[in-house]
Amino acid sequence: MKRIKPFTYFAPATVSEAVGVLAKEGVGAYPLAGGTDLLVRMKRGDLAPGALVNLKRIAGLDGIVKESGGLRIGALATIRAVELSSVVRASHPVLVEAAGLLGSPSIRNLGTLGGNIGRASPASDMAPSLIVLRGRIGIEGVEGKREVAVEEFFKGPGETVLSSGEMITSIYVPEMQEGSGAAYMKIGRLEGMDCALAGVAGYLALGAKGREVREVGLAVAACAPMPLRVKRAEEVLRSGDLTEERLQETARVVAEEVTPISDMRGSGWYRREVVGILAYRVLAKAWQLAAGDGGGR
Amino acid sequence: MKSAIEFKVNGERRQLEVEPWITLVEVLREILHLTGTKEGCGEGDCGMCIVLVDGRPVNSCLMLAVDVDGREVLTIEGLAEGGRLHPLQESFVERGAVQCGFCTSGMILSAKALLEEDSGAGEEEIKRGLSGVLCRCGSYKKIIEAVQEAGEKMKEKGRR
Amino acid sequence: MKLHYVGKSVPRVDGLEKVTGGAIYSVDVVLPGMLYGAVLRSPVAHGRMVRVDVAEAWKVAGVRAVVTGQDFPHTFGNMIKDQPFLALDRVRYVGEPVVAVAAETELAAQEAVGKVRVEYEKLPAVFDPREAVAKSAPLIHEHLEEYFHLPRYEIVPGTNICVIRTYSLGDIEQGLAEADEIFEDEYHAHAVAHTPMEPHAAVAQYFPPAEEFTLWSSTDRPHTMAKELAAALGTSLHKVRFISTYTGGGFGGKATMVAEGMAVALARFTKGRPVKVVLSREEELTASQTRVGAYLQLTTGVKRDGTITARKAEMIWDSGAYASWAPEVAFRGALQIIGPYRVPNLELRSRLVYTNKEISGPYRGFGTTQVTWACEVHTDGIAEKLGIDPLEIRLKNGYVEGDSYINGQILRGVGMMETLQRASRAIGWGEAKPSPGGSKRRGKGIAVTIKPTATPTESYCFIKVSDDGSVAILSSAVEVGCGQKTVLAQMAADTIGVPLASISVPQSDTHVTPYDLGVCSSRITYHMGNAVRMAGMEVRKKILKFAGEILEADPESLNLSEGKIFQKGAQEASLSLKELLAKKIGGRGGPILVAEGHYTPIGSPLLAALPGREGMSSIFWMFATHAAEVEVDTDTGMVKVLRVAAAHDVGKAIHPVMCEQQIEGSVIMGLSNTLFEEFKMENGRILNDTLADYKVASTMDTPEIVSIIVETEHPEAPFGAKGVGEPAAAPTAPAIANAIFDAIGVRFKELPITPEKVLSALRAKTKNGA
Repeated sequence: MKRIKPFTYFAPATVSEAVGVLAKEGVGAYPLAGGTDLLVRMKRGDLAPGALVNLKRIAGLDGIVKESGGLRIGALATIRAVELSSVVRASHPVLVEAAGLLGSPSIRNLGTLGGNIGRASPASDMAPSLIVLRGRIGIEGVEGKREVAVEEFFKGPGETVLSSGEMITSIYVPEMQEGSGAAYMKIGRLEGMDCALAGVAGYLALGAKGREVREVGLAVAACAPMPLRVKRAEEVLRSGDLTEERLQETARVVAEEVTPISDMRGSGWYRREVVGILAYRVLAKAWQLAAGDGGGR
Repeated sequence: MKSAIEFKVNGERRQLEVEPWITLVEVLREILHLTGTKEGCGEGDCGMCIVLVDGRPVNSCLMLAVDVDGREVLTIEGLAEGGRLHPLQESFVERGAVQCGFCTSGMILSAKALLEEDSGAGEEEIKRGLSGVLCRCGSYKKIIEAVQEAGEKMKEKGRR
Repeated sequence: MKLHYVGKSVPRVDGLEKVTGGAIYSVDVVLPGMLYGAVLRSPVAHGRMVRVDVAEAWKVAGVRAVVTGQDFPHTFGNMIKDQPFLALDRVRYVGEPVVAVAAETELAAQEAVGKVRVEYEKLPAVFDPREAVAKSAPLIHEHLEEYFHLPRYEIVPGTNICVIRTYSLGDIEQGLAEADEIFEDEYHAHAVAHTPMEPHAAVAQYFPPAEEFTLWSSTDRPHTMAKELAAALGTSLHKVRFISTYTGGGFGGKATMVAEGMAVALARFTKGRPVKVVLSREEELTASQTRVGAYLQLTTGVKRDGTITARKAEMIWDSGAYASWAPEVAFRGALQIIGPYRVPNLELRSRLVYTNKEISGPYRGFGTTQVTWACEVHTDGIAEKLGIDPLEIRLKNGYVEGDSYINGQILRGVGMMETLQRASRAIGWGEAKPSPGGSKRRGKGIAVTIKPTATPTESYCFIKVSDDGSVAILSSAVEVGCGQKTVLAQMAADTIGVPLASISVPQSDTHVTPYDLGVCSSRITYHMGNAVRMAGMEVRKKILKFAGEILEADPESLNLSEGKIFQKGAQEASLSLKELLAKKIGGRGGPILVAEGHYTPIGSPLLAALPGREGMSSIFWMFATHAAEVEVDTDTGMVKVLRVAAAHDVGKAIHPVMCEQQIEGSVIMGLSNTLFEEFKMENGRILNDTLADYKVASTMDTPEIVSIIVETEHPEAPFGAKGVGEPAAAPTAPAIANAIFDAIGVRFKELPITPEKVLSALRAKTKNGA
């Protein structure tokens, strides 16, 4: 099998040590979290970093804790930890749902939430849910700390707002509102594990009567250069009471709003077709959850 | 350049010096000569290299050896205790869940972790739990049956 | 004689090794002083090699050999000897081996490969075999006529057609004139990757003073490959030794030298140090072997009641850049296109064509899966147009016991009707269609296949009995996963009369275990089984003769059962085999009995046919019907296979569970080929060269599978057993496609049937106002 080529290895014990190394080494150094993406790219020869900075020696970056009306997930929390967390299931079950659709159990035991977000794949399974939940990314660098909304974190395929010498330390999601529900669904080429051809996360917070939309979030994966919040479609949802027709119209606008490419996995045409279907199904489920049927929070 | 690592493999303590670019599967197969763990793609897509690290299934082709320091690894060679086969190993043979055998290690270890988390795992849970291990011989049906049977045996014995 | 093991699903003899991590595959072989190989492969589909510069590669620390085609200018090919080990002056497909490197570590070898510089002058390439057939197409092998080729194959020099076969029967024009309706259509069965979980891998060692090679390989036909290698090197078989390991899946792709050739080319130059070559998954997908893609045009004349009167077929098979084993695929496929039906008038033409792509070869049959695809979708289309039930049309035209094959061979052991009836019953054929509601649609489809076995082929074995009653079967049947070792042990145990536990089936070694063609063509249970039975009967006879001497009794009155000698009518054993042998040889020790078994079907009356046409006979025929139920999501195009009822005529199930393994396994593989697998190509380069993007079925795609074993009589089969491994793989694809038609009224003639294609077809249908 393809062997990994030699690199200079750093295993910092603290965040400040890590960002110091990243800043010093510059573009030649890559942070290593779970390795499920980075090591694959290195083996295929798509990347040949001169240095790897292993973040996993840094203590305290893998916690999942309630925090001031929300949830803070450490960047190094594995996808599997998110999937199995009773804390996450209680407060943000859509994240459990999304995590469970990513890869396979063994991949989920290695891959981290920070790694998934930091990789900035347009097809990220975790990003759409974090976007609709108004998640914020905790960043630390040599210049200090800052927070960026998940929906503003991505600049393009594989590109983020992180500068050299910065790393993700945590992801914060505010508490979901009363009477809300959220869902994530994806479609691949088969039922088994696959990179999403299209993924949709939807979040609905409804008023007391169960039809007025107080808050909405809708985001897609794999249909744009980055995980995309589809704001025009959200406007359709906001524009009146929730009805079957509004859901269908929203789905239609999602399909119009996205800019999917054709690649070896699927055509832009197909992605556009199924993202609309997914949007409808996700919203229907989120509505059901929000209205208190069949579970919810 | 080499790092010292200390970890347990199948209950035995091992100390090695490894370069940081060496993966766990290379350590297991080429340094420790435990060839029961296979490598089918090197990229986490096939599951042949799955071993249990601290009880959790991971693709050992995507784990750097330096990250196994201080941890416990279980490979297929360590499953039988005192010469007695694990219920999964028994059921795999008895229920015809083995054909070419190349995926057997990844399947059995993934199933062990699954059953220890949920001994009553039904067909759907087993399918999901084993979704990351490919079997080109197509033994899925009998593998699922063998895992279910082993789950019953494990429940009966109160074993974990 | 009472059967203790045959017919029972005993624990397989290799099971313990495989569940404890003890089984050794070629990837696991480690030898003292072993080096690791890596290969530089052509990035160009067709080109002339202008310059090869290996200087920088030699500078990488640990490199011990760098080998080019100039250093090792041999070519190989059992059927058409057209393939260089390493490109000589020209490359013909992306992935063709150009330079090989051996080094102390695999990493060093890979790094050195990265430092080789090759300059190519691109040549016009051709990728579609239908274009490659044209006179104006770039010629891939200009000197086709100069290659050695087996006389069986007719080549067409000056073209890209490396094999052509035509066949006629009766009067095609008359047959079509008699028809009430004529249906014509074209089908495409695509190239798919065998995708064994164990990649191709081999270790080779060269002993310079005697110029001898030893290989450790998981090829499924070691003697045939040894012969191919010896012919390529111009050496004798006693200087080429293949030691077999377990095979981690073959499916027909491990017949040809892939890793073996590289390991040999390197070992030749490493001064006696063994060299191991393991293909990466990328190489496995792009540079090993694929199924032979085929364009199959069928024209069939039928009466209004569905009786077939005539068939014309035009078949174009895609060999890829070299012939390898594809000639036999095109040769056999030429006739198998008839399907399991009585067709009195035939005009068939089959052409194997070179293209600048990955080499193709056998894939669970020599063309069986491809012709079954075409034939069974075609038959379904005919049924639809005539308004006849798809099951009925097959019952009407299908073979029954005693029918004549096209060459006059009388078919024996024909379980086709029973497979059709039982599979259709199990799927609930004809029951009212459920409406799951919403966007989901259900449908059922059926398909049937016929498969011959390569005839005539030979199997030899030895059985040796040691002085403590231990029995060893020395056979070159490699264990590829189907349970070869187990069925042979079962048959030996019941033939001789010893416990199964006393039998070992060591690995094949071409210097020790006698000739066998190979594990292919579903032939081992029957051919090697017969050889084992013959050797076993001789062993039994000898043992009973000794017993007769010791007990002073007529051997005819004695019985050997479960390793004990019984006198006639006695309940208690007189003595054990071990005691008998101890008495016989006194204190001398050592192995005591060796018997040879040699089975060949040559001369069997079963092969009798019209004069000059015996070559088309098969010593046994296999039949299988798959009935599938699918659910199509018309919003997304996703097809879920709910259930497959698979009925197989195996003759006799020596090990019922292992028969089920083949059946279930093939349903999964068939489903995977049909719905998920395809090569995405760009200018001859395969883009999806990882398992992340060459999708194969996982547990999540598993349908409910009902395996039905049909048993029929065959006069010469060992314990009545025929074969099952290949026919299992053929009917799944058309059964699923026919079920999709039943569900949504769209008939697919190409593969794979992806969600995107389904959705696209549904949209087109709606647009056309259907």
